[in-house]
Amino acid sequence: MSYCVNCGVELDKSCSVCPLCNTKVINPNDPGDSISPGPYPSRQGYIDSVQRSDISILMSVILAATALVCGLLNLFVFTGTHWGLHVIAICMILWVFFLPVFFPGKLHFGISLLLDGLSISLYLGIIAWLHPGNGWYLSVALPLTALSVILILIFAFSLKSPRSSILFLAVILFAAVGILTVSIELLVRHYLKDPMMLSWSAVVLTCCVIIDVTLITILRRTRLREAVRRRMHI
Amino acid sequence: MEKKINERKTWYKLDLSANVYPTLQRRNFSNVYRLSIVLKEDIDPGLLQKAVDLTLPRFPAFKVALHKGLFWRYFEPNNRPGPFVMPDIVNPCMPMSFKANNGYLLRLYYYRRKISLETFHSLSDGNGTLCLLRTITAVYLRLKGHAIPDGNGVMDLSEAPGREEMEDAYLRYASSKVKSPRKRGNAYRVRGHKEPFYTLNIIQGLIPTDQILQLSRSYKVSVTEYLNAVLLYALLQKQKSDRVFREKPVTLAMPVNLRRFFPSKTLRNFITMVYPSIDPRMGDYTFEEILVQVHHYMRYYINSKFLNADITTNVAAQQSFLIRLVPLFLKDFVVRQFYIRVQDHQSSAGLTNLGVVQVPEEMKEHVERFEVLMGQPFSPRTNCAVISYGNVLSISFTSSIVETDVERYFFRKLVQDGIHVKIETNRNINPDINRKL
Repeated sequence: MSYCVNCGVELDKSCSVCPLCNTKVINPNDPGDSISPGPYPSRQGYIDSVQRSDISILMSVILAATALVCGLLNLFVFTGTHWGLHVIAICMILWVFFLPVFFPGKLHFGISLLLDGLSISLYLGIIAWLHPGNGWYLSVALPLTALSVILILIFAFSLKSPRSSILFLAVILFAAVGILTVSIELLVRHYLKDPMMLSWSAVVLTCCVIIDVTLITILRRTRLREAVRRRMHI
Repeated sequence: MEKKINERKTWYKLDLSANVYPTLQRRNFSNVYRLSIVLKEDIDPGLLQKAVDLTLPRFPAFKVALHKGLFWRYFEPNNRPGPFVMPDIVNPCMPMSFKANNGYLLRLYYYRRKISLETFHSLSDGNGTLCLLRTITAVYLRLKGHAIPDGNGVMDLSEAPGREEMEDAYLRYASSKVKSPRKRGNAYRVRGHKEPFYTLNIIQGLIPTDQILQLSRSYKVSVTEYLNAVLLYALLQKQKSDRVFREKPVTLAMPVNLRRFFPSKTLRNFITMVYPSIDPRMGDYTFEEILVQVHHYMRYYINSKFLNADITTNVAAQQSFLIRLVPLFLKDFVVRQFYIRVQDHQSSAGLTNLGVVQVPEEMKEHVERFEVLMGQPFSPRTNCAVISYGNVLSISFTSSIVETDVERYFFRKLVQDGIHVKIETNRNINPDINRKL
């Protein structure tokens, strides 16, 4: 029988350290017992899987039926414009958006976000194909969608990271806002064939840079972080 | 045919407490708790399954599945196969889906000499579940050839389930003309690093009951009051070591068994919460001062009048005609938001004491001890559950955070007071990590 030298509690034979203070158990007279089964099992439990296929099938059938019926209506009854393609594309986007609900825990959030971005790009592509001209899709819509997806992915990965803090997330968020506004202005100027320079986005970028520099400085300097805490003390 | 029709018609409403727990259900959280009994010889899973199959029909309150209506949830008898006994796992009280496990809201595990029963809180409180566990164990021991009589929490299987066992006792006793206020101030909340999904850290202290009884008598308080005071003391120390922006009161959420004040044989929920609290903003409290504060708080609030006012507040909300007309999804949304934004902020930790467990005299020689786990906390914090049998008092802390500060302060205080504590854990601790304590 061993006792923790810090806490004074008797420890079970299976303990190689004190669970309360993490102090190593060193007892030459009683080396402990790591072979016999401990007081708790080692088998890991997993959550019972729930049959969600019913709702997945129902949603998929509703969306597929809507897309099919509207497609047929457009083909044979209301044939004036290609409106059916819009409905089909929206059904497809909804189905892709619902993928995490259909397959909970099986689809990585990164892949899910990429698929969402792809489906939106495809829908915009369909609109561009239906209303051709000016090349807005390739020069503005597609790069902006791609950039937004990348920024959202970066933010989502930072959010999931166990080491992330509110300050760190704020840094990422303001950096993303800065990059996005600058990109929007440059892409629009490129599309309109205006001179490539920054105007309104420079104001947003400056604000974001100032906030980010401040936050990074606070993050990196422990003493400063403590000083801010003290001064913000209510 | 007639029997089938009757079975189909039998359904019942959830009781007052039971209505709240399913609204808090998340993919990673269910209100599940665990009661265990440790016998003196290894468990035979085949016989245990037989004992469960024989016992459960006597407990219709547990042999149910939860369904959604338009305005409320309800229970329906569940005649599907199960629940099945399983080898125990290291991470108990996992979230429980209402549709998995053939609709049963119970799980049974065995490990060496231990039988564990996990229950979704909507079915019953600790006292009801304790009754089921004792009956299953008694039937199991009978199947092993021992003569165990009924009584002392072991139900007679040949007897039909009484109407009173299924009653919603809140409705019978809520008769106060005034309601107690629902809003209390925000309490200090323990912060820590969340463990990966799904981990439940358990630290269990085993204590000789006679020692703690003698000690609490020397302080002129009850064991529950003493343990409450020690936990408050530990939380105060934790708050101080956290160096928080602004100190807040340290409050415990403690369920009280209402059967002690309002006679009822119900096996469903019949508890309410009290909130013993210490406010460090008034000055530094010594342990003796905390003990006096807790002692007087308990004596002042835990009586039939105050408890009646408390349950009347909740019953009035449930019985209101306007609230009853609101669709279930809206009720769920409002209750969940109230719990997240108000209720969850009102306590720093949970503490439950199931008290001294009695079993029939003939069963005593086969039982070593009882254990109780409060399950996964809703927000990252520590919960404490206490149960006593014979000369063993088991105190189990459950948490989903890495830090063990509250547990350490708690058990060190007991050791300082001269109590022998034996610690067991399911934590997988790495001795190479040198944590700063």
